[in-house]
Amino acid sequence: MIATPPIRAVPSPPVIELVDLHKVYRVGVELVHALQGITLTIQENEYVAIMGPSGSGKSTLMNILGCLDVPTGGDYRLRGQDVSRLSQSKLALIRGRQIGFVFQSFELLPRTTALKNVELPMTYSGVRHRRRRALEALKRVNLLDRAHHHPNQLSGGQKQRVALARALAQQPDIILADEPTGNLDSATGEEIMAVFDSLHAEGQTLIIVTHEDHIARRCRRIIRLIDGRIVLDTARGDVWSPTTPTLTAAPAGAPVPSSTEGTP
Amino acid sequence: MRKLGRWLWAGVLFLPHLIGSVVRSVPTALVQIWANKIRALLTVLGIIIAVTSIITVVSLVEGFGNYVTNFLRGLGTNMMIVYPEWVRGPRGEFLRRAEMDIDDIHAVDAGAPAIRRTSPLVWSSATIEYGRQQVTNVQLRGTNEAFQPIRNFYVDAGRFFGAVDVENGSAVCVLGREILRKLECDESIVGDYVHLDGQRFQVIGLLESKGSFMGENQDETIIIPWTMAVKLNPYARTHLAFYVEAMSEPQIPDAEGQLVRILRQRHGIKPGEANDFGAFKQDQILQQFNQVRVIATSVLAGIVSISLLVGGIGIMNVMLVSVTERTREIGLRKSVGARRRDILTQFLTEAVVLSTVGGAIGIALGYGFTHLASLHPDMVEVTVPLWSVLLALGFSAAVGIFFGIIPAFKAAIIHPIDALRHE
Ligand SMILES: Nc1ncnc2c1ncn2[C@@H]1O[C@H](COP(=O)(O)OP(=O)(O)O)[C@@H](O)[C@H]1O
Ligand SMILES: [Mg+2]
Repeated sequence: MIATPPIRAVPSPPVIELVDLHKVYRVGVELVHALQGITLTIQENEYVAIMGPSGSGKSTLMNILGCLDVPTGGDYRLRGQDVSRLSQSKLALIRGRQIGFVFQSFELLPRTTALKNVELPMTYSGVRHRRRRALEALKRVNLLDRAHHHPNQLSGGQKQRVALARALAQQPDIILADEPTGNLDSATGEEIMAVFDSLHAEGQTLIIVTHEDHIARRCRRIIRLIDGRIVLDTARGDVWSPTTPTLTAAPAGAPVPSSTEGTP
Repeated sequence: MRKLGRWLWAGVLFLPHLIGSVVRSVPTALVQIWANKIRALLTVLGIIIAVTSIITVVSLVEGFGNYVTNFLRGLGTNMMIVYPEWVRGPRGEFLRRAEMDIDDIHAVDAGAPAIRRTSPLVWSSATIEYGRQQVTNVQLRGTNEAFQPIRNFYVDAGRFFGAVDVENGSAVCVLGREILRKLECDESIVGDYVHLDGQRFQVIGLLESKGSFMGENQDETIIIPWTMAVKLNPYARTHLAFYVEAMSEPQIPDAEGQLVRILRQRHGIKPGEANDFGAFKQDQILQQFNQVRVIATSVLAGIVSISLLVGGIGIMNVMLVSVTERTREIGLRKSVGARRRDILTQFLTEAVVLSTVGGAIGIALGYGFTHLASLHPDMVEVTVPLWSVLLALGFSAAVGIFFGIIPAFKAAIIHPIDALRHE
């Protein structure tokens, strides 16, 4: 375990606290170490980009953060609550109430209006005034006029905005977006990022997985994964530049040296 | 015991959630079915057939049942017919006789306290002629003035013959409405003369219309005094049958016992020997009808169970396909907070809605077929009983639950990540 010295006074528990998180997949007889000891703290209203080459474990990390999956080792505390060993149905409740997920491929229900899609998480968590809250969320992503359209009547960017409205309608503790602009052209991607920016300005905590530097640059903190390890975290004072072929600073398997830890 | 209580309590607490969840799933289910109309229709074909058969067969059997009951009520509820009958077996062959005369009938009438009244019955057929018209092979019944109350069958034009006509053996007759129709004449025939097997009779009255029963038209009957009938058919004088009316319905067994005792004594039948007469009671008609009902019900049960099985397997199959097709949807639902039980209820509800839609189509078809059947002129009145509709709906829903549970379970246990990675 890595002892993290208290750096500044934290009024409330961090939104996310990962300690030495591991995830091992078993494929036949082979073991795939997708995450190899992730230690990470994310505070309220942080705006984080997670980068890294394909297969580096970004989606695996997001799935665990989103309580879609459980780690095989280590601890995950979401707003101070240990969620790494909860039952399936408890995890489902947390997904419904505390997490807003945005996917690369939108994942809207076909044959269902935008409004109903936005209401969906609330039907499972049993929130009241679903319709009103869904309409408010659609208003925030500027799609109020498309509330009664079906997904096949919407453009890619509009679909992703509906998905965003669905994620934020319940005011989750955190919004997780796994390559939200991956299926969109750059102009539409900018459009989506503008919404993320404004959510950040309103105090929302956001984590976005992305390949694109210009997207990452909009975020306040960049974390880079390679082979299931954090090799760069601008919150530690690491300097990130899109041109420097980022760090093989720590060789795979070795613990991250504590000297690199600190605050910017 | 305590554990059971806890489980039950958990079930009760779960109930509102379950109901809410089911109600929420119904629109989704209908949308799904509507999106795959043809597939859904083919899937529930078995259920449609099952439910259509239930509704149609039950309605027809019920219709005939009501008809038989009404007919029996029309006969007069407490009525029996007693008739001479050869003893079965070698002794009967040896005796070669079974007799009943008017004294037997009088003895029964006088000696049986459970019997209100009796009326002789001579059973034959005749040809009737009126002017140039002729009808052959008409039912001819010889009886007395007690016929009307016993059979609950009255004249509604002219009069019935009275005790004096019977006493004198008068050549008078009462005609059924169907005869009138076949003779192509109207009520003015009353008072006029007709020929029965060549003999002149005066028409004194017309019977009310009663309709036919099991192929026998009761309106195609001519009634004459029995004393006249035995003149036409002397053999009948010693082989009379008779109607018996018991004091009340519960007294029918008493009445039968009393008349059996009297007739056995009068006919000198020793203990252990069989009767040389028979008694026909209404419940025998009911028994015959019940046999028909049992056969119809077993055939129905066969069709229904096979087609429900076929329909159920169809539903299971289509639901399994649907679960695979919609794996990503399941993943999405789970990732936004659906629990296993939410997915389970959703797919189970879908299966039940599917099978119930099949049931509803079957009910509509069943109504259609019974209506079609009732268009036939000789058809009895049929209505679809409510209980058969409820039964059919219950069966279809049960099939949905039974065959939907495996696909729904399969959907419920899909891991959200695997589901979202599904192509
Ligand atoms: N469900 C799974 N089963 C087995 N291996 C998996 C599974 N999901 C991911 N992996 C493996 O884990 C590693 C990280 O995958 P992933 O988190 O999807 O990477 P990224 O999103 O960064 O491209 C890869 O080697 C991948 O093959
Ligand atoms: Mg990925």
